Amino acid sequence: MNATMLAQQILNGLAVGSVYALFALGYTLVFSILRVINFTQGAIFALGAYFTYLFTGSAFGFNGLLANAALPFGLPFPLAALLGGVLAGLVAIGVERIAFKPLRDKGADPLLTLVSSLGMAVVIVNVIQYLVGAEIYSFPASVMAGLPAALTFGPANNPIRIRTVQVIIFGVSMLFVVALTLMVNRTQLGKALRAVAEDATTASLLGINTDQLIQFTFFMSGLLGGIAGVLIGLSVSIAGPYFGISFGLKGLAVLVLGGLGSIPGAVVGGLAIGLAESLVPPDFVAYKEVIAFLFLFVFLLVRPQGLLGRPLTQKV
Amino acid sequence: MSLLEVHDVSRNFGGLVAVDHVSFQVEQGEIFGLIGPNGAGKTTLFNIMTGLTAPSRGQVLYAGVDIARLSPHRIAQRGIARTFQNIRLFGDLDVLTNVLIARHIHAQSGVFAGLLGLPRARHEERRARDKAMELLGLVGLTGQAEARAGSLPYGDQRRLEIARALALEPRLLLLDEPAAGMNPNEKQVLSDFVRQICAQLALTVILIEHHVPLVMGLCDRIAVLNFGELIALGDPAHVQNDAQVIEAYLGEEG
Amino acid sequence: MSNFLTTYGALIVSMVFAAMLALSLYLPLMAGQLSLASPGFYAIGGYVAAILSTTVFNTGESPYPLTFVVVEMLVAALASGVLAMVIGTLALRLRGIYLALATIAFVEILRVLALNLPITGGAIGIFGIPQPFETSLGYLWIAGPMLLASAWFVYRLERIRAGRALVAIREDELAADAMGINPTFHKVMAFTLGAILAGLVGVISAHFLNTWNARQGTFDASIAYLAFVLVGGSRTFLGPIVGGMALTALPEVLRAVAGTPGLPIELAQFLREGRMILYGILIVAVAVSFPQGLITPALLRRKRAVKP
Repeated sequence: MNATMLAQQILNGLAVGSVYALFALGYTLVFSILRVINFTQGAIFALGAYFTYLFTGSAFGFNGLLANAALPFGLPFPLAALLGGVLAGLVAIGVERIAFKPLRDKGADPLLTLVSSLGMAVVIVNVIQYLVGAEIYSFPASVMAGLPAALTFGPANNPIRIRTVQVIIFGVSMLFVVALTLMVNRTQLGKALRAVAEDATTASLLGINTDQLIQFTFFMSGLLGGIAGVLIGLSVSIAGPYFGISFGLKGLAVLVLGGLGSIPGAVVGGLAIGLAESLVPPDFVAYKEVIAFLFLFVFLLVRPQGLLGRPLTQKV
Repeated sequence: MSLLEVHDVSRNFGGLVAVDHVSFQVEQGEIFGLIGPNGAGKTTLFNIMTGLTAPSRGQVLYAGVDIARLSPHRIAQRGIARTFQNIRLFGDLDVLTNVLIARHIHAQSGVFAGLLGLPRARHEERRARDKAMELLGLVGLTGQAEARAGSLPYGDQRRLEIARALALEPRLLLLDEPAAGMNPNEKQVLSDFVRQICAQLALTVILIEHHVPLVMGLCDRIAVLNFGELIALGDPAHVQNDAQVIEAYLGEEG
Repeated sequence: MSNFLTTYGALIVSMVFAAMLALSLYLPLMAGQLSLASPGFYAIGGYVAAILSTTVFNTGESPYPLTFVVVEMLVAALASGVLAMVIGTLALRLRGIYLALATIAFVEILRVLALNLPITGGAIGIFGIPQPFETSLGYLWIAGPMLLASAWFVYRLERIRAGRALVAIREDELAADAMGINPTFHKVMAFTLGAILAGLVGVISAHFLNTWNARQGTFDASIAYLAFVLVGGSRTFLGPIVGGMALTALPEVLRAVAGTPGLPIELAQFLREGRMILYGILIVAVAVSFPQGLITPALLRRKRAVKP
């Protein structure tokens, strides 16, 4: 392992990690407001990718109800991606109305809400499969038209190469992360969010419309998840609807590692897991998938509040 | 030797000092009152005594043994029982089962004996049920044995919590605001009841309470907390006339 | 009648397995612990049977001797039990969602290990697991008594002191602790019992299915078992049994319905393949509207009251 390879692996790790971070932020947003884990985040992630695929005008394969379906037009990729993300966000609002709100109104146990969201995730993912099958889709190559396949820098005889796609996904993720952080910390809306996260009852007594705010939070978390899905779809491929579930599970590892409810934690956790995965020695590459879960398991046992989270205390 | 000795106990939550170097002793057979304004640290002190919270420093000696860092069930096994400020019954279960559950430590037969229905297990089960019914009778809830605990009126729930605590057959009973939400009549009944069980069951009672006349009329000695500090300790007459107490507490309420 | 049994023999056996796997999730749930770890122990049990029967016990006898199956079960029970006690003691200090997450992680870790270790046959798994019975229905000779025994076990547990302790912990762990009940001990006990049950089912399943691979212990399976318990009833031992059997039979029933002539193709296809969608919808519907599931203690009490 020489310095070049190491550098490349680090860069790859950061790129993938940034998408993990983006995705995990969706979990974090909902958790900080409602203290529940929204299991549909993974399904929405997949939806974002599939919606965007549809909007680029590409056709679906021959499985599923919508075999060979395609839109009669194709949007330029950034627009398609944005639209895909927005649509994912709207679906997230729908999920909130169906699976979260009724339980919130009843004051139900957070476990029940988790289970309910799990059911929704299963429904969404399987509906996707039912509609368009489980084959692997890739965004058309035209998406990257005009851009070099890879960027190189460093010494001429041993250059560090990084795929342009990785740079793009890193950039886009970080853009959203920064925008979100600014929004939460600098705007009135963000202040309202933090108030509800701190104490929902008091916030509503202060005139904040918690219901709307919750819907907005879900929209944002869906948007982030959907965009993350597009980015992974771009960088790797859309590996069937179930890749949303496995990504969703991995996102939980990021969530716990970084600290539930902590935005910087999600970023740190995402990057950390991305890096850890890419630095796995070649002999053990089959076990790459396990890294995230090992982190999750170990942290839950040793430090459940993660790196940057606050320990959850119980009022007696 | 005092039954309970709180020795220089403090508890911090981050920057907040909930209990500040508190020391006092409770003698066997006493009815001991713990009063103070809201947030004075009374419930925190209870939580420390029952193992729900560890003190940041200090010791709690129960029958000469430091129990400050033991887990709640170990402390319960040693004979300290409590009720909670915000009632913590097993709401979905019926009234009898609530009390029956607290008989847990008084049976010896293991899981296997229970599963197979061996004679000793069945005998212990019967005895536990009888004892539970007896306690329900003591607090006047016999007729409600099959009712869902959560459906009981507030006052009955408080009485059930006391019955449940008594099922442990404790030596020391901690009551956290047992009279909250009761009318004056009910408060008097409760007061008489506490005195009765204290004598009848050879109990020592520590009582957190807001209603000052109740405390003054019932307790042998009273400790007054304010902002986590012990500001007065003595019999009711002494405490009533303590200047600091009047200023901190009685002055506000009257 | 015998025609029905032979056609549906395999389904009946699957229903019995499902009921027991649901019970394995129900046990920790009695103490309020949502553990999604059953598929992991189920997989371990299956691998124990698969590995032992294709190597050490591979005598070529046909049918495969039941004594060997019993030994496999003992080994699986030991393995599951010890692992569960270790994992449980570590993980059950966690509350609620944390435990659910830890068990999800546990199952995933096991799955990837199973996919990659040579002893488990890697991605292909293990084939040619010997059969102790010649027909599917024959497996009922073991599965049936197993179900009856586990059902009786849980039924009794609910009625004794230990079972009450579990329920108390579910209702209010702190209060239960303050009443002298050791929460960690009881939670680990329930978790371990569930794990052992799942492991035992795995053993007999491996023989029944004739092959075993990493696809036997997945997150999907966790969801299915969860659906069984939630829909069937999470507050009484009958719930998981009814839920497991009904939800396993349901796809078959739907498939039969899908065969009725004149049905629109899309509907028929949905009925045939929409099993997971159905589970998902049921989970959401039950969580939102009937949190205690279909068979509730209240329902049972009413039925008992109605009988003269």
